[in-house]
Amino acid sequence: MARILVADDSETILLLLRTRLEMEGHEVETAADGHEVIELVRRDPSGPELLLLDAMMPRKSGIDALRELRQEGIEIPALIVSAHADGRNEVSDPELAVNDYIAKPIDFEQLFAKIAELTS
Amino acid sequence: MTIGFAIAFAILTGLAVIGVARFLQQRQDYENATARSYQREINARNRLTQGQNSVAARTTIILQQRQREALRDEISSETRDTALLVGAGLIAGLTGAALLFTGLIASMRRPLEDLVDASGRLAGGDLNARVKVGGLTETATLGGAFNEMAEELQRRAGERDQLDRMKDEFVLTASHELRSPLTSVQGFAELLMLEREKLTPGQAETVEVILDNTRHLTRLLNDLLDLARSDAGRLTIKPVHTDVTSLIEDAARTMRAQFDARGQELGLEIEPDLPAVEADRDRIRQVLVNLLTNANEYCPEGAEIQVKARHASAEIEIDVIDNGPGIPKQQLEHIFERFSRGDAGETQRVGGTGLGLAISKSLIELHGGSIGAESTPSNGSTFRVRLPASGAASLAEAERSRAEA
Repeated sequence: MARILVADDSETILLLLRTRLEMEGHEVETAADGHEVIELVRRDPSGPELLLLDAMMPRKSGIDALRELRQEGIEIPALIVSAHADGRNEVSDPELAVNDYIAKPIDFEQLFAKIAELTS
Repeated sequence: MTIGFAIAFAILTGLAVIGVARFLQQRQDYENATARSYQREINARNRLTQGQNSVAARTTIILQQRQREALRDEISSETRDTALLVGAGLIAGLTGAALLFTGLIASMRRPLEDLVDASGRLAGGDLNARVKVGGLTETATLGGAFNEMAEELQRRAGERDQLDRMKDEFVLTASHELRSPLTSVQGFAELLMLEREKLTPGQAETVEVILDNTRHLTRLLNDLLDLARSDAGRLTIKPVHTDVTSLIEDAARTMRAQFDARGQELGLEIEPDLPAVEADRDRIRQVLVNLLTNANEYCPEGAEIQVKARHASAEIEIDVIDNGPGIPKQQLEHIFERFSRGDAGETQRVGGTGLGLAISKSLIELHGGSIGAESTPSNGSTFRVRLPASGAASLAEAERSRAEA
């Protein structure tokens, strides 16, 4: 089971993700925007084994946060959650090194399979 | 140029008129002179018969005869000169006219050729096609009119593109805004269903209804979006080297719960060592999930559904086979058309969008493949997807690009 850092600007969705992931036995940390993600990762770079980031968040998006982390040489696997219809286009930038993306509404079976693949 | 042509024509006509007038005048003079000469000869002959001054009369007769001969010689030489003059005028005029005409044609030809060329480009969709306006008044006017027309076409195309962009933007934004709340509704309903044993049967049924409807809403959103893209010619795929077996297993995994819920069997029969395909994973998965969803929803409880995949010459064939009620012939013919659905009673129960198969067809065709359906009423249906298998060259290429990455 993995330590996962989850970021979404909606508290409801954070609660949903935390509940489902914890039921699967994962350990969950949450952030409300990209700034918090960067802060948490900087404080403990070896902490999370996976980043699960919403693509669009106010102040700093998951994509911008990930870009900054990658520039700092942080290579934690990342899954982008996107409500955007063209989610794949958003994350196709090779510099982002996004491992996979998942569309909203979230198919949890698919999400769990991708998490297992990235953290095994 | 036209003025030059008119002048040449006037010169030609003038020369001919002068020539003819001169000829008539000379003829008149000759006839008058000849008549006077005859009159003098007649007078001399009268004097001769009356016996007067016979030597002088005879001399006059001979002189008059000689004079008429001289007149004949003169008129024939003058006629020749006039004919030469008219002929020279004719030749000069015709040559000039011919030269001017050739020049005229040549000066029209360039602008006309430009127009033909520009029309071709315009018809081919190049809305920037314009012609250089110049030359004769007529071709210049034509060129100007053409340019105005092209300008108008371009302006309207621009307006239409802008409207299309606004529509696409709207569909994108709407779908984006709807997805977040939908995620919560669906996610929490699923959460409740995970603790089904704590719910009363009535509550569980209620949650089931919520879930069914969120799934329907999601599908509707995705289908509408794909349709908008397809209409705008922007339904695109990003093909990568893809293992068919894992793709089918992935689609089957997504659908497993729905099949279980209706007590249906889902069996996979995949030939070992299938060659890979160049495919957009998500899009092919979408097609397979669509076919499986249809089988799941249109077949009765307890039905058996099979997915078979095999390598057939240069293609991979994927069959989704069910032993459900089958599809009547008239429906089967239109099954890949938009909003084509089963009969009214069925669709009430099933609640699809009527867009899934039309989108699937577009997607498979984008992959260079084909999709078809066969059915015997009351004896099940088979949907077959054919995708071109990756050739040896593309296999090597994929390996190389993977190595480079």
